[in-house]
Parts: sequence; C-alpha cells; structure tokens
Amino acid sequence: MKLNIEGLLVYFPYDYIYPEQYSYMLELKRTLDAKGHGVLEMPSGTGKTISLLSLIVAYQRAFPLEVTKLIYCSRTVPEIEKVVEELRKLMEFYSKQTRESNNFLALALSSRRNLCIHPEVSSLRFGKEVDGKCHSLTASYIRAQHHSNPSFPVCQFYEEFDAVGRQVPLPAGIYNLDDLKDFGRRKGWCPYYLARYSILHANIVVYSYHYLLDPKIADLVSKELAKKSVVVFDEAHNIDNVCIDSMSVNITRRTLDHCQNNVDTLHNTIHKIKETDAAKLKEEYRRLVEGLKEANVARETDVYLSNPVLPDEILQEAVPGTIRTAEHFVGFLRRFLEYLKSRLRVQHVIQESAPQFLKDIYDKVCIDRKPLRFCAERLQSLLRTLEITDIADFSAATLISNFATLVSTYSQGFTIIIEPFEDRTPTIANPVLHFSCMDPSIAIKPVFQRFQSVIITSGTLSPLDIYPRILDFHPVTMASFTMTLARTCLCPLIVGRGNDQVALSSKFETREDFAVIRNYGNLLMEMSAIVPDGIVAFFTSYVYMENIVASWYEQGILENIQRNKLIFIETQDAAETSMALEKYQEACENGRGAILLSVARGKVSEGIDFVHHFGRAVIMFGVPYVYTQSRILKARLEYLRDQFQIRENDFLTFDAMRHAAQCVGRAIRGKTDYGLMIFADKRYARADKRGKLPRWIQEHITDGSLNLTVDEAVQLSKHFLRQMAQPFRQEDQLGLSLLTLEQLESEEMLQKIAQVAHQT
Amino acid sequence: MASLSEEVLLVVKKVRQRKQDGTLYLMAERIAWGPEGKDRFTVSHLYADIRCQKISPDGKAKVQLQLVLHSGESTTFHFANESTALKDREAAKELLQQLLPKFKKKANKELEEKNRMLQEDPVLFQLYKDLVVSQVISAEEFWANRLGGVTNTDPAQYKYKQEVGISGAFLADIRPQTDGCNGLRYNLTADIIESIFRTYPAVKQKYNENVPHNLTEKEFWTRFFQSHYFHRDRINTGTQDIFSECAKQDEKGLKSMVVQGVKNPLVDLLSLEDKTLDEGYGVCGAQPSTSNSNRTVKESSNYAIIKRFNHHSAMVLAAGSRKGETPTDQASETSSTDGNSRDSDFFQPPVKKVKLQEEYEDLQQENRPKTVPLNLKKSDRYAHGPVPLQSQQYTTSQDIINSVNYIQHEMANYKPNLTQVLSSTVATSAISALSPGGVLMQAGAQQAINQMVPSEVQGELKHLYVAAGELLRHFWSCFPVNTPFLEEKVIKMKSNLERFQLTKLRPFQEKIQRQYLSTNLTGHLEEMLQTAYNKFHIWQTRRMMRKT
Repeated sequence: MKLNIEGLLVYFPYDYIYPEQYSYMLELKRTLDAKGHGVLEMPSGTGKTISLLSLIVAYQRAFPLEVTKLIYCSRTVPEIEKVVEELRKLMEFYSKQTRESNNFLALALSSRRNLCIHPEVSSLRFGKEVDGKCHSLTASYIRAQHHSNPSFPVCQFYEEFDAVGRQVPLPAGIYNLDDLKDFGRRKGWCPYYLARYSILHANIVVYSYHYLLDPKIADLVSKELAKKSVVVFDEAHNIDNVCIDSMSVNITRRTLDHCQNNVDTLHNTIHKIKETDAAKLKEEYRRLVEGLKEANVARETDVYLSNPVLPDEILQEAVPGTIRTAEHFVGFLRRFLEYLKSRLRVQHVIQESAPQFLKDIYDKVCIDRKPLRFCAERLQSLLRTLEITDIADFSAATLISNFATLVSTYSQGFTIIIEPFEDRTPTIANPVLHFSCMDPSIAIKPVFQRFQSVIITSGTLSPLDIYPRILDFHPVTMASFTMTLARTCLCPLIVGRGNDQVALSSKFETREDFAVIRNYGNLLMEMSAIVPDGIVAFFTSYVYMENIVASWYEQGILENIQRNKLIFIETQDAAETSMALEKYQEACENGRGAILLSVARGKVSEGIDFVHHFGRAVIMFGVPYVYTQSRILKARLEYLRDQFQIRENDFLTFDAMRHAAQCVGRAIRGKTDYGLMIFADKRYARADKRGKLPRWIQEHITDGSLNLTVDEAVQLSKHFLRQMAQPFRQEDQLGLSLLTLEQLESEEMLQKIAQVAHQT
Repeated sequence: MASLSEEVLLVVKKVRQRKQDGTLYLMAERIAWGPEGKDRFTVSHLYADIRCQKISPDGKAKVQLQLVLHSGESTTFHFANESTALKDREAAKELLQQLLPKFKKKANKELEEKNRMLQEDPVLFQLYKDLVVSQVISAEEFWANRLGGVTNTDPAQYKYKQEVGISGAFLADIRPQTDGCNGLRYNLTADIIESIFRTYPAVKQKYNENVPHNLTEKEFWTRFFQSHYFHRDRINTGTQDIFSECAKQDEKGLKSMVVQGVKNPLVDLLSLEDKTLDEGYGVCGAQPSTSNSNRTVKESSNYAIIKRFNHHSAMVLAAGSRKGETPTDQASETSSTDGNSRDSDFFQPPVKKVKLQEEYEDLQQENRPKTVPLNLKKSDRYAHGPVPLQSQQYTTSQDIINSVNYIQHEMANYKPNLTQVLSSTVATSAISALSPGGVLMQAGAQQAINQMVPSEVQGELKHLYVAAGELLRHFWSCFPVNTPFLEEKVIKMKSNLERFQLTKLRPFQEKIQRQYLSTNLTGHLEEMLQTAYNKFHIWQTRRMMRKT
C-alpha cells in the first residue's frame, strides 16, 4: 500500500498495516525532518524493521540530497540478514509499483568469516583465525614479495578485486551476505573487500554495531561514510554496554608475557632489518616526523569519522622524539611493560584514576604522558614497516599500546582497578588490571557528532529518558509505542508466593533458602504440566542456576519435571549451548515438549527468539540484577551518580528490568503469537520495578496478578492458554490491530492513533 | 488332553497353588497348572492376558511367583520343592521374562487400538456402552466387525504405526526403596531396561559384553545403580567401575555432537555475534572462567549434572526419533552411540532463506478467495435446521441479485388483473389455511421435533437410532445367508434385535408416554425392526420349507 506520512509518499510492501507502525513512521519522519536524533521503543514483532526501512527509503527517494545513506546497525548475523531480506521485499514492491528498476544499492557487511570465499581460509572456524590468515595473504608487502617471486602464495580473489574491482561500482541491487559471495565467486573477486569498498557508495548499509562503535574497527571500515547519513541502531537496549566493552581493556599476566615475546620479536626483527635494509627504517623515521599531518587535515575537513582512540592533540603534533626511532620505541615499550608487571605484583586491590596512574608511572619509570599517547599509532606504523606477517600474533602488544594511548588521553570516564586474585578464590593468585570505561558516551560520541540523524530503537528501551542521559545526547523525539492487540496475547503474571505462602525472591538473603528453591521448582513443575510445547526459564546468573539445578536434582524435582518435558540447560560453553538449543527446538517441533533453563544476560537471552511453540511460557526466576559486588560496577555506579546524577539504585533497577524485559519478550514475536510471562519474584510487584518494564508489557499487568501463589498462577495460565489456543484469524484483528488503507485513512482512526501515540 | 499338541517349554513339579500340590507347565502360548494326579489344568492363562509377574523377595521362606492379569486377578504359585525351589522359580521367571514381552506387545497393541478407537469416536463409544456394556451383544462380536474393518480399509495406518518414544523420566521411575536394613531396592521392569538400553547404547553394549559371562544380570544392575554413571552428581573418579567407560563414551558422544555444531544458523550461538571483541578487551564481568582448574568440587559436580541432563535429554530425544528400528534391533542401535539424530529425516532445519524472512502473515493479503464468515446467532438452529429446504439448488449471489432486480422490475410494472380477483372471504380462508396451524400447514408440524421434545429425550433417541442402526447393520450383513455360520449369526442377531427392543426401546417408549409426548417418535424405529423381523420370518419359513 502507499501511505501518506505527513506529505511523504511511503511505499509499504504489505496490504495491511498495524496502527503502531503508522505512528512509528510519523515520529521517524519528524526526527528526520528535524535532522536530529531519536529514541523510539516499539515491541518486537510489530514490524519495526520494515517501518524503518520503508520510511527512510521513501525519504531518501524524496530528498536525495538531504539523506544520502542509511546505515542500519543490528546485533547478530541472522538479524542483519533478516533486515536485508525485508529490504529486498520492499525494493521488489517498489519496482512492481513504479514499473521501473530503481538504482538502489544496498548491502550487508560482515566479518571475513562470513564473507570469505577463499577455499582454504574460509574453512577455518574462528573469526580470528580467518582474519589472521587473510591478512597473511593480502598484506601489501606479501603481495610485493609475490611480485618478485610468483610462487609466494597470495589470495587470487583479492588480487582480482584489486586489479579490476574498484573500477566499476557494484551494480545496483540488494546484496545479502550470500549474494555477495555468489557475486564474488562469479567475478572471482573477494566479497569482503568488495563489500567494504562498496559501502562507500551504497545507499543502504547493514552491518553490526561494532563497525561503528568499536574504534579499532570503525577506523578501518566506517571512517569515510558520508555525513548526511541516517544511522539506525536496532535492538539498541544494550548499546551502552557495547560502547563500554569496546573501550575497556583487561591486562593479565598472560597478556604481559605474550607482549614480552612480541617486544622481543620486534627487537630481533629491527636488528635484522638494520643489517639488511637500514633505508627502510630511515624512511619510517622521516614519515613520522612528517607526523600525522595528513590525518589532521582529513579530520579538519571533516572527511572522516573521528576515532576516539586517536585524540586530536596527536594529530597536531609529530611523534615525540623519545619514541621516534624503532629501537627507542621498543625500549620504551619494554620499560612500560616492566612497569605494568610491577603493578601486577600487588597483594591487595588497588583502584585509581587515570591521572593517578600517569603520575605514578612518571615517578617510577619516568614515562611521560605525551609519548604514551602516541603509543598505539607508533606501534601500527612499526608493524607496517617491519612487515610483520601475522598481525594476530601481536594482539598482546597492540592491546598494551591501545591501553597506553587511552589511559593518557582520557583523564575522565575511566578507572583502573588492579585485583591480585578473584574474589571467590582468594588463594589463587591471578592478578588482573582492569582498565574499564565507565562512560558509554565516549565511544558513541563521534557517531552522534558526525551523522545527521541517529535513531536508537528496540523493543525494550524503558524508561526512555535514561538512554539520552547515559549516552549524553539530545534527542528530538522520544516515543514508546505499545502493541495494539485484538486479543490479549501476552499474560504477564507476578508470582510472589509459593503455595505455602513463602515469599519467592532471588534476593541475596534467601538465595540459599530451600523453601524458596523448592517453590521455584514447584512452579516450574506445575507449569511443565499445563503449558504445551516449549518453556524457557531464565535465572539471574550461572552460579545461581547451577546451584538451583543441583538442589532440584537432589530433591527429585527435576525427575518429576522430566515426566512432562525434556530438560535442556544453557552452559557457559557456546557450542554446547547451541547444541542444547537445537535439541530443544527439535523436541518442541516433534511435540514432546521441552524446557530450556537459561540465564539472563547470557547469549540465549540476547540473541535467540522463541517464536510460537518454541516458547509458550517464559519464567523469570528472580530479578536479574547485575553482580553488585564487582568493583568495576561500583566504580561505574559512582561515576554515573557524579556525572549524570543517576542514582545507583535507579540504574541497577533499570539494568535489571531491561534484562528481565528482554528475557520475557523473547516469547512474543508478533500479534499472532502468544505466551505467558511469569515473573517469579515478589519484588516485581513493587511500583519502582514494574514501572520500568516496557509499556506494552506493563499495561497488561492487572492488579489481580501482582502477588499470586503458584496455584493461582497455574489457574490463570490454564485459562489463558485455553483461550489462546482457539483459532485466530485475520478478520478478528482487522480494524483493531490491523488496518487496511481505507481504515487507516479514516478520520476516526487517525484520531485514535494520535491519541494512543500521545499517551507516551 | 487338547493341550498335548502344544509345545511344552518347561515343566516344574511340586508347585503349590491354593495349598494344592501340582505341576506347572509353561507352554508356547500359555501357562498352566494342574493338580497332582489329575489329568486337567485347573489354572490356565494365556501369556497375552498376563500383565506382569512378581516374585517373592529372596530372603523369604516361601518361594513364590505371582502372575497378575490384565483383568486384575492374580494367581500365586508356591514352589515347594525344598532343594530346588529357588532354582525352579528362577527358571520359570526367566522363561516368563522372555515370553511375556512378546505377547504383551500383541495384546497391548490390540487393546490400545481398541481404546484408541473408542476414545477417538464418541459415537462408537456410545454404541459400545449401549450394546456391550448393557450386554446386548458380546465384546468380541462388537469388535469382530470393527477391528477387521480398520485393518482392511486402512492397512497403511496400521503398518506405519508411530513408534512409542521413551519417557523422559524413566530413570525417575526406578524409585529406590529402603529395605529396612541400610540397603536400597530398585525395581526394574522390562520396560525400564528397554528404555535404558535405547537411551544409553553404551550400557547395552556393556550388558552384552558382560552378561552372563562375567556378571549375572542382577550383579550388572546392582553395579549400574552403584556407579557414578547413574548418580549424575558424582564425578567420575576413574575407578575400575565398568561404567566409567560408558561415561567416557558419553562424554565423547557429547563432544562430537558439540564439535559437529548445529545446522540451523539461527541457533548457532558461535556465529551469532558478527565481531566478537578481541581477547583482553571488554569489561570482563563477574563471570568465572570456564576452565575446570579453579572450580570447587561442588561447582564441578553441579556442572556435571547440567551436562548430563543435556546429554540425557538429547539421548532420549534421539532414541525417540530413531527411525525404523525395533527395540530388538541391536546392531544398528549400538552404532549410533553419539545419540545424534541429525541424520534422521525427522527434523530438518528449514532452509535458511525461508527462516530469514521475517513473517508477518497477518500483514499480507491472503491469497485464497475472499469468503464471508458465517455468522450464526443460534448455532443449533443451523445444525437442526429444516431439512427439506436444503435440497434446494444453491444460488449464487449474482443469481439473487438478478432475481431481485427481476422482481423489482415485475413489481414496478405490476398491473392487477381485476377481472380474476378472488372474493374477500375466499381470500381470508386461503390465508388462514396457509397460516401456522391452518389446514394446509399440518405437514410442517413433524419437522418441529426439536422444539417439541426436550433435548435429553432427543439425545436418547439419537443413541437408540445409532444402536439400532448398528444392530441392523449386523443383521442385514448376514444376507444372503449361505453358510452355516451366517445362519447361526442371523438367528443370534434376530434375538439381539428382540432383546434390544425389549430392553431399550420399550422403556424409552414408556418414558415418552409418561411425558405425554407423541409416541410416533419411535415409529420409524419400530418400522425398521419390523422390516427386519419380516425378512427374518420370510427367510425362516423358506428354510423350513426347504428342509421339509
């Protein structure tokens, strides 16, 4: 259908539309008009992706000079591929309606592991291996060697691409990962480099967060993306953690040992080169004196996305003399390394700020702040000069140099914590230096600064106002849309008591309480008897789950559950869990029914959807608070309090509730889907917790379902499931939660939609 | 003695039953017991009738064996030969153990089938209640016709019967009981053993290797229950336990499953993340390292439980979906020790492409032609609506529109033909005759049965019709009567019909009379029965004539 969104003609590739999609597009249009940033929450399964794509593509066609590119960031590879498929559908609709082939180029970009077609390299299983192998076949000096000695192996796909691939741009069309590979095979070009090259002139790019947020990758990949782009972060409820992760560094004794080896290798290589090819080193020296002038020019003319690891000051200066020659730099690295080693020899926990650290290092080994800041850049340059084949081997040295640059650049927003041992095993020495970022806005700042519109969207972003605060930006629109439903297909229940009236809670004091554990077991057992097909249960942490599973086993509860359903359990091993997941789905598929015990914040809770019969009920055992005893967290809370005036408790509850919402939201993936959401902790009944759930869940929690016993919950669930099992047809939805074009255009409906949207 | 022709598998002398000495015979199809010195069996059970056997505990003075039948009765044999009582009993037990499952399956299958048919078909169930439970005809007669029909008409369904899976909790069913003196007793049935073997082929292999050369069956199972293998929270300590190898094998199977990875890219957590952080970056949270070195004993035992639960569930699932293997098919079973059913074509992950299409079925126009939903205000009126009207030709909406147009047209152009109008009195009488209750409307009264008769009577009448129909079907299927068997049957059916009339129809008639309802409700039933009687009489007189 063709929609009129405040004067913009939007092609929507479906015959019907949900009312909330219409509201969503309205808000989105306003955001784009204002050239500002937006925060939009809409439940999963209401067609967020297609609404986004339809509107932005329409906008791009209407105002080709205002918005030149859409950068769509998602979280997992399957999600990226899904987005491209949706886009394909949209484009097919366009060409059918307008009867002309459009010249849109859209493509997905992923890591080499997912794009490589080199027979040898692509057979490797881990991303890091693939990257390393690829580098050893495509690095410039390798290719130069190949030139002189043709028996030297290179990647023929890359060679082919380098020779001709850049001359003709990728023909217009929609390229998913597999399409890119096909295209690459046909032409004999490397799909990965082709994609990386093509994103510069593509209209739509779909890739993972990291390509924009992780400075190490963003610098390589996304640096040159046009300023007039719209950036969308989908599934962005965890974006602050992604930012923090990309800027934090952990240094263990093992890292230092590796680094020591690296430095030794560097030393030897320099020594060798000096004997054979001293000119090369001289050339490097000259280049460094020239400094990073080029980079500075580029930044000033605003060609590049700035790199938070490459601070402005560096660009204006030349590399300081103390580390300019290769030998001096290696010596410098050695000194720094020794210092770090001495720091790791502590017997008690130390926490300090970056300035304190710098002062200490100056006092102890006379290392200045300035050369430290150039460390990362200097090492890269050296590695290039020395023609190191295996970059992956030098990851430790790179890590240390990145740390050096970061610690000397940011005096705020970071903390250094040195722990001599793990808390749980105080007898085993395992010193770690955590250099942890506490301010997610540092990593995302360049994105907000550079791009004209950044949209942060997800199914669970409540409470909305906290994201602009912790990411430090000013959105022009903030909205939360609920799911209009013709039938109440979700049933949130808060189970606060066992049948014996014992209060259910995962709080620390009652964690080990057998009465609570038993009642949790009872809840699961009763549910396993009445819920068809799949049940997913989430625990607050691995340790908690392991303990509960063990005591359920001892008490024979698991055996009773096994009478009803098979049990699968998430482990910390991803491969093992994948297998359990597949078996779980198989058991749901063949009608046997299964239970998956899983962990909030685990991989399953973040990336796996349990549509329809794969998850008819989700049980959340306890409130998934983050492990509050961790020092890093404490430091972060403190920082949030001081800098953003966010109270510790508010943040902790916010964090716990967004994860809880993520977990229970896994079961509902659309309006035809249905599922129970059981919150098994009496603390959920409190207003401060409940109020932080997304609106679309909150509004279905009735006062009657706030503090149920297990039996009451079972009764309500039985009733709900029976009702939901009745056939549900399109006609039932039409006019309420599903609209035709005529219905949408009626005055009455528009008013209703506006009213609903206004509640936010 | 008729049974002499049977093959006698085992004879045990000096077996007492009801305080009477006698001899126990185990034959190919039944077990029998005859008192001493007599030439007949006083006890005889087909194996198919036996649900299970129980034996007295070893320590007891009396060495007994009890047979429990499906009907709930039980028979106890007391082995009284002092010196060899135990051995005799064991021999009998062993043999029974081998024989019973064979027959059990057959009996169960039939019973199950019958049960299933009754459950699935409420009409049949009612019929069964009407005819068999009230003893109008016997159960065998009832089924003789039915079951044959099923197997004949639908052999495919019978042949590819879905194999029964394994209960996930079969290990839980082995409830250990304390025997009072620091010991535990586990009850094992053939079913459980089979489940264990199917789920854990490694155990089966061990069983084949060790029993009976190295261990007796009992020892084998005792060790099994003692092993850490059974107690999942115990960690493999590497003793000489024969099951430690099983555990290792399981571990290997699990590992190979894990290494193989998953086919469905949507659940592959390894490739979910596009770009994982390099080592050393990121906030490493409070998650403990996965290496086993610094786990406490408690933790690693918890971990072991979790791992084994995953494995157990996977094995049960795999055992359930292994195709085309009967439980006795040993060779093929041991070959697939890793419990991985991915090769079976039961579960094929859907093609990636299809899965990637986000599906909003409800947003899409459905392709089938638009239909108007049936909006029923009173659904029972729809169900029992006036029958004669249904025979009419169905008219399309276009027809209706055309005819409406036509009528409108006619009405517009209507000119009364005043020369041929009726007089008013004649018109009134015609109208009254055509109104409900009028002379011409009498015929319609019969149709209103559903308004006149209370619904329970209707229901009862319906059952009577069904039952009578069934009996009559039996009756009429005997014609033409050309074998002595059919002759016999037709006579029996006739008497069945009479019995039906007497025990079912009559009381019903009296009942409706008491309620002052019109008796011709059952008129048609009587008519049908009468026709059957007439046919019978004609046939009988003809037969008599032929005989004389």
